Amino acid sequence: MKLSIINGSPRGTSSNTEKLLEHFIKGFIETEGNIAEKYYVFKERPSFENLKKVFLDAEVLMIAFPLYVDAMPGSVKEFIESLEGLKGKRPDLKIMFMIQNGFPETHHNRFVERYCAKLAGRLGCIYLGSICKGGCEGLTIQPPVLVEKVFSGFYKAGRSFGETGKLDPEVLTKLARPEHLTPENLLQVIPMVNNFLWDGMLTKNNAMDKKFDKPFE
Amino acid sequence: MKVLILNGGVNSPSIDSSIQDLKHKLSDKGVETGELILNEMKYSPCRGCFNCWVKTPGLCVFRDDGDVLCREVLHSDFILLASPVIMGYPSALLKNALDRIIPLIHPYLEDIEGEVHHMKRYSKYPVMGLLLEKSGDTDDEDINIITEIFQRAALNLQSRLSFVKFTTAQAEETAYEIINN
Repeated sequence: MKLSIINGSPRGTSSNTEKLLEHFIKGFIETEGNIAEKYYVFKERPSFENLKKVFLDAEVLMIAFPLYVDAMPGSVKEFIESLEGLKGKRPDLKIMFMIQNGFPETHHNRFVERYCAKLAGRLGCIYLGSICKGGCEGLTIQPPVLVEKVFSGFYKAGRSFGETGKLDPEVLTKLARPEHLTPENLLQVIPMVNNFLWDGMLTKNNAMDKKFDKPFE
Repeated sequence: MKVLILNGGVNSPSIDSSIQDLKHKLSDKGVETGELILNEMKYSPCRGCFNCWVKTPGLCVFRDDGDVLCREVLHSDFILLASPVIMGYPSALLKNALDRIIPLIHPYLEDIEGEVHHMKRYSKYPVMGLLLEKSGDTDDEDINIITEIFQRAALNLQSRLSFVKFTTAQAEETAYEIINN
């Protein structure tokens, strides 16, 4: 099976999306004969000619992106609009999505996931499903134990998909945990992210004293 | 009351004429109304660097019309997001504009009704409304999906979505909804 992946992260090769894809691909290519190729939305703006060719030629297509203001990044929407003239041209194309977000819960992705399912139908393709995962901001600075769990989930999802050509709902459900946080989790996680992730980056940039600045007031 | 219309249309006569009618109605009622024609502005898509949160808090590192978007949105009481529905969702032009106003919120997280969302940077944010031009393949499910996503987006931008209207609606009706949001 050949999997063509379009990474829609504006951060491109240095994105959290890319890191997750690497682990998915690692599992996917464990099945003999499977190969994967990657393309980047940010490199193909504004014409997307190369990506339109990928859409026309792919066997299985994955569009991966981070959640931006509760939906796809604007540049991914530009790419989607470029496919308007190709609706119905690939009834045999199997299409899936990978959506990651920086909030601790996966639930934030569920709304744009509905859009993706509808988009697959609008394009006239076969929808395989969407891999959704929260808690993906700062993968390079999160505690290794947490990151390894996320990477392992993507590896397992890739391996399972590579073996069967299907996204296993059980694997996706496990990967998506936590879908929501309990009140106790909220009390623990919020200060941890604020103090560890954001204050850490503000301190590194010598910007702690400016963190509550209101430049447009 | 100050109303800002973000015109996310590209060669969209129906959006343009709806906005003109609405501006006249609002003006007749004494409402100050501004319009940003996004297609005539210069702003890059957000690159997700988060420098606007952790390096130059509140300011994007791109020196382009993104600053105009932030300033105008913040200083409005109501923003009307006007756009054609393209491939089941408002235009990329509008989406790129929304992605570029994240400097207005704070990176810190807080618990809002049992979910994690971003905190306010400023004390007050405008209420949002959507004015959509349906395309030939737009159906009720599309509108439902768009409405839910924009309700979420409004929550994350410390706002709320007041209504979703269509370009087929009378300007009087949309003006009433804005004034009585």
